[in-house]
Amino acid sequence: MTDTNSLQEAPAASGGRQPVGIRLEGVTKRFRGGVVAADAIDLEVRPGEFMALVGPSGCGKSTVLRLIAGLEEATDGRIYIGDREVTYRLPQERDVAMVFQSYALYPRMSVRRNLGFGLRMRRTRRDERDRRVHEVADILGLEHLLDRRPSALSGGQRQRVAMGRAIVREPQAFLMDEPLSNLDAKLRVSMRSQLSLLHQRLGTTTVYVTHDQVEAMTLGQRVAVLRDGVLQQCDTPQRLFHEPVNLFVAAFIGSPSMNFVKATVEGGTVRFADVRVPLPKGSPLASADRRVILGVRPTGFSAGTGNGRPEITLRPEIVEELGDERYVIFDIDAPRVDTDATRAAVDAETADDALLVPDERARITVRLPGDVPVSIGEPLTLSIAPDKLYFFDPETGSAL
Amino acid sequence: MRWRRRIRSWGPAVLLISPSLVALAIFVYGFIGWNVRVSFTSWRGLRPTYDFVGWQNYRNLMHDERFRLDVRNLLVFTVAFIVGSLLLGLFMALLLDKGVRGEGFFRTVYLLPMAISFIATAIIWRWLLDNGTGESTAGINKVLANLGLGFLRSDWHKSTSKLAIAAVALPAGWALAGYVMSLFLAGLRGVPEELREAARVDGANEPRVYWHVVRPMLLPVFMSGLVILTHISLKTFDLLFAIAPGDLRVDTPALYIYHTVFRGGFYARGATIATLLLLTVALVIVPYIWYSVRSERKR
Amino acid sequence: MSTVGTPAPPAPAPAAGVAAPDQRRQRRPRGRRSQVLTFARYLALFALACFFLMPVYALLLTALKDPGQVSVVRMWELPDRFSLASFRAVWPELKDGFVNSTTMAVPASIISSLLGAANGFVLSKWRFPGADFVFPLILFGMFIPYQAVLIPMFYSLSRAGLTHDLRGLILAHIIYGLPITTLIFRSYFAGISDELIEAAKVDGAGMLRTFFFVALPIAPPAFAVALIWQFTSAWNDFLFGVLLAQRTEDWPITVALNNIAGGQTVPFNEAMASALLACVPTVVVYILLGRFFMRGLMAGALKG
Repeated sequence: MTDTNSLQEAPAASGGRQPVGIRLEGVTKRFRGGVVAADAIDLEVRPGEFMALVGPSGCGKSTVLRLIAGLEEATDGRIYIGDREVTYRLPQERDVAMVFQSYALYPRMSVRRNLGFGLRMRRTRRDERDRRVHEVADILGLEHLLDRRPSALSGGQRQRVAMGRAIVREPQAFLMDEPLSNLDAKLRVSMRSQLSLLHQRLGTTTVYVTHDQVEAMTLGQRVAVLRDGVLQQCDTPQRLFHEPVNLFVAAFIGSPSMNFVKATVEGGTVRFADVRVPLPKGSPLASADRRVILGVRPTGFSAGTGNGRPEITLRPEIVEELGDERYVIFDIDAPRVDTDATRAAVDAETADDALLVPDERARITVRLPGDVPVSIGEPLTLSIAPDKLYFFDPETGSAL
Repeated sequence: MRWRRRIRSWGPAVLLISPSLVALAIFVYGFIGWNVRVSFTSWRGLRPTYDFVGWQNYRNLMHDERFRLDVRNLLVFTVAFIVGSLLLGLFMALLLDKGVRGEGFFRTVYLLPMAISFIATAIIWRWLLDNGTGESTAGINKVLANLGLGFLRSDWHKSTSKLAIAAVALPAGWALAGYVMSLFLAGLRGVPEELREAARVDGANEPRVYWHVVRPMLLPVFMSGLVILTHISLKTFDLLFAIAPGDLRVDTPALYIYHTVFRGGFYARGATIATLLLLTVALVIVPYIWYSVRSERKR
Repeated sequence: MSTVGTPAPPAPAPAAGVAAPDQRRQRRPRGRRSQVLTFARYLALFALACFFLMPVYALLLTALKDPGQVSVVRMWELPDRFSLASFRAVWPELKDGFVNSTTMAVPASIISSLLGAANGFVLSKWRFPGADFVFPLILFGMFIPYQAVLIPMFYSLSRAGLTHDLRGLILAHIIYGLPITTLIFRSYFAGISDELIEAAKVDGAGMLRTFFFVALPIAPPAFAVALIWQFTSAWNDFLFGVLLAQRTEDWPITVALNNIAGGQTVPFNEAMASALLACVPTVVVYILLGRFFMRGLMAGALKG
């Protein structure tokens, strides 16, 4: 499929403009009716950075993007693009380019005119306009489509035209609102890498909104996680994964998501079900005596036993085979963790939204390599790495 | 700063729409107000008089013989017209709902009368509704006689019955049944096929499917049609004016206004009738507009 | 499609004239009962078609008959030979009416459609405070009985001297046509995605440029609906015509028609011939351009 091999070797089209950063200070957006879509957001996108905004639906990520674009007016706070304050500037005046989820290509214009529209509006001279349009069409493999109308293009081609329209303007920033969501799965994965390449080549500051945390993690140099209009954490993907700042971020990032169980800490050990795990040296909870929520990623268990690590014996209920790895799912005798945060992380609205058959016990998913013998119902012993445990306050959800 | 942005944001839009708004403010609302004002005067003759006589015109109207006749006629006409058009339109929509060969042809024919002016319609139907007898039977009466349905012969709108005007509902229905049909057809086809299929699988036969599944979903379309037809009926002028000029049997308030103002010079009286007519129409239309704007907002 | 002297509102209801026959073809078993039903259905459809065409038939027949053969009693009989004598008799009196109606209806429909497009665009896509309040006010103008504004309108326009030619009439049609054209375009533009307008904004286009470069190019289906509706409505109007065109030579065709055929003692054939002539333009528009009208309706004009 020619669609996926579109990015050719071509020099950067950025024309030598210095990338600029974007800054949001205390930006709030309150809609009529009281809905607070963005709550005192402080965000900084460094010049040339690819920043992903991610969160469950309704978290405000699109609103933040639209605030940066100027399509929404901020109720409070300030927005800066580069050194300029743009809080009260109309979208036409902000020199940003936006790629929409539905592409929003002008239906009665050819690809050529679609690409050139922004330049026309800025009264760029005809010859300069044509040059840039051709250059971008070249990079994106659209030269043979220049005279077609959007209705005569495939989904992937339309997506590229939408990108091209943004690129050709050489704006100070790209704003992308779930641009890959309308593509089917395989195309989406290949377009992702193309986007990365494009960013490397052009170096333009980019803000990218998605609801898919995998996409955010793979594309973003830094990722901002939002929930209900509040910024939870803004960090590199590595740090988000390994140092989540609260329960929500921990539950949202990572697939399959982190396992949670209610546990107690006392005397330097954490206890849940009939398992006792000593806390690692130097842990801040060493002298604590309290209830916690314990989190372990599916990769926090290993099959090797007898290496001094605490062990847990379980009966697998479900085994999902994936070839060279498998997911083993089982229940343990500890209460299931069901809080607003964990529910929000999976877009569930009520307690049993996420379950087909409700259950009170905690459900653990473990990822094991494919060569470990596992069968349903047969007892299996796994060891737990104490340094891969995460602790959260049951009331506030913040990390301990 | 915030306000500068806002004005720059929607200022041009307001400017673009303002000529229309100004025009309508004058020609619709301004004139309505003016008309109401006139109804409180005693203007008679070519020179306007802007005195104030309170409710006198309205009171006089209540005792005006012709006006009472008109209102009665209007009621008869409206009922006959609405009932006839709704039934016929619904019937035609039901016939076409499931799709027939030549649907395009039938729809074109049924909607054809909407392209014809009411004056022409009136002229044609005046002759169709001829009330000659015996040797001079003509028009529809003759067709009926030829079909062996001679007993259905009627004097139509020239009859001495108080319901004579109901005969004019025939050309009016002829002109608008196609439109009602389109409304109902759109409504019927707006019922998702899956709902009907679910009912069939549950064991309902076609008439039942229509009654239990389709009919409840037709209510909005029905109300819409009812409101539109009512307001058309109240406004009807051309048809009645031309089908039997000057004949009081088909007189309605709308015609009275014309005659009394432009043939008689009784401007104040005309304005009074017009105001009453407007109020009656508003009674029907305002809730309809309010309801449809509100339900659109919910969407 | 006006048949009342005033534009008959097409009703803000689901698109009138939805055509969805294909997915409705039922594959029901060809039982005897269903065959009888189908036959009955076609019979009913044809009978209704006859009912609707019957006046047209009488009209054609009478207009094409030899004047000597014409009589009300013999309305339904086919002519012995076809004759254009009736047409020739009435044409001189209708000629001016044709010209006047055209001069009036064409500009009126074009201008009110253009203004309606601008209004509809602004009301649906370029929000301003009070847009939702203004629209019902505009819409109401479509439903008022024109009798309620008749006296002021007649008085002011004749005082302004606009009734001594066609200008007053054209103005009235433009202004009173605004509500319906605004409705048509507003419904239509509401159906196009907001993101398209936002893309234009981010690309640097202000309201006017968005309107010209983005909205208008995709508006032809709505224009079809608005132009056809307005033309038909203006052509078929009588009330405004009879009041706002004082001089006989300014009479639109409906008024001329009524003048010829409206009297009590009028040659039957002339009445029919003139009615036929008066209907020709709108019927031709309907038959030839009707499909564009339908397409426009289905594309979203008038769904609100």
